[in-house]
Amino acid sequence: MILIGKYLSLDESLNLREAAEICLKCGVCCVIKGHSCHVQYDERFNATRTYVYNCLAAEDPVENPNIWLCVSCHKCEEICAYDVSPIRFIEAMKAQAFQRGLMHTVMLGEIENVLSTGYAFPLTSSAARQREKLGLEPLPTASAEELMRIAEETGLARGLRRIKEAED
Amino acid sequence: MKRFAFFRGCFIPVRFPHIEYVARRVLRELDVDLLDVDGFSCCPEPVGFGLNDKLTWMAVAARNISLAEEEGHDIITLCNGCLYTLKQANVVLKENEELREKVNEMLAPIDRQFKGTVEVKHFAHVLLGDVGLDEVEKRVETPLKGLTVACHTGCHITSPLELMQFDDPYDPVVLEGMVSALGATPADYDLKPLCCGWTLTNYGSRQSASRLLGAKLAAMREGGADCVTVICPQCHYQFDMGQVIAVRNLKLAFRLPVLFYLQLLALAMGYSLDEIHYRNHRVRNSRFEEKVKGAQA
Repeated sequence: MILIGKYLSLDESLNLREAAEICLKCGVCCVIKGHSCHVQYDERFNATRTYVYNCLAAEDPVENPNIWLCVSCHKCEEICAYDVSPIRFIEAMKAQAFQRGLMHTVMLGEIENVLSTGYAFPLTSSAARQREKLGLEPLPTASAEELMRIAEETGLARGLRRIKEAED
Repeated sequence: MKRFAFFRGCFIPVRFPHIEYVARRVLRELDVDLLDVDGFSCCPEPVGFGLNDKLTWMAVAARNISLAEEEGHDIITLCNGCLYTLKQANVVLKENEELREKVNEMLAPIDRQFKGTVEVKHFAHVLLGDVGLDEVEKRVETPLKGLTVACHTGCHITSPLELMQFDDPYDPVVLEGMVSALGATPADYDLKPLCCGWTLTNYGSRQSASRLLGAKLAAMREGGADCVTVICPQCHYQFDMGQVIAVRNLKLAFRLPVLFYLQLLALAMGYSLDEIHYRNHRVRNSRFEEKVKGAQA
């Protein structure tokens, strides 16, 4: 389990490649209809080339854009008889991708939204109008300054600047 | 009246303010008092934000929890994602002293501290545990008899099982009990535990998301469903807007309206379809509307 009672730092999570070696490639995490990974509905995957193999067996899993399709639902982890925990592997690859500046653009935008407004989604004028019409208070954005301060402390802000500089 | 720090999250107040409106009205009628905490931010969202080294994710979640601690009230959320983030942070930070100290160091410059004095609950926990399903049943004025409802519980309120302890991720039944309490019939359908496909829509291909939704909606329809109910705004989006896209992509011949559970509860409490702002939904269906009106007549 990823977080329960135990917190994995980035350094520890870098050693998760062994998951790819333990995996028996039985496919249970992906092919049991309705009970396994939803990404299997992507037409590129099938019973012999499953989404989880695609993530575990990629030459450089960090550069595999499919890692972003994982929703962290834990089903692969709960169903695996060999304690491979593909979710733990995929989340570690996402973390390393961030370190390398390979983040999905939608997620980058989402993080920037959170740090600048406190909300993951853009605060549109249409939403403001709907709220007013329903008699709901306007949404406060006072948290943004504190969130940016936290991001400076944890190194997230530095990482985002690095990605931006590389883009420029 | 039981008071909670109201963690409305991002998705509902920004994309579905009508659901926030219904939640405020219905929960107040059930003696659940929602305290607005202006400083709350995004939980932060577990899939998009929670990927760095998890430290920022944990620290921002701890900041939100600390605001509820200052008010002295447990948190109530309307979203599975917010629950997943805040509950994990709350449990882990209570248990792991070393991490708690590290996170509190991150919070010190903004004069905040995680103490571990409150609990984090989804509104479903509150209805089941604090209000009680018997009490919910007593407030039903117009039982939704004749209405068959497909329940989609969602992923992040059930998994990881050891932590969430809400329902069996592979055979979820709790939401079905909540639907039965309203006089409606839960649909028995295949693919019940399957995810709504949120990440496929956002970070993958919409065609794949449509395939998934098409399969799930067809199973619901086969199970006799007149509508779908959810307890997570991302799932709501998928079954509403995502269904519009799936209908176009797959040329589906049917439509299943989706209602957030609190909207369904409101109907059972005698609210009209207009009062739950059903007209804001992208997927509407006259057969469903007639059944609701028939139950309320």
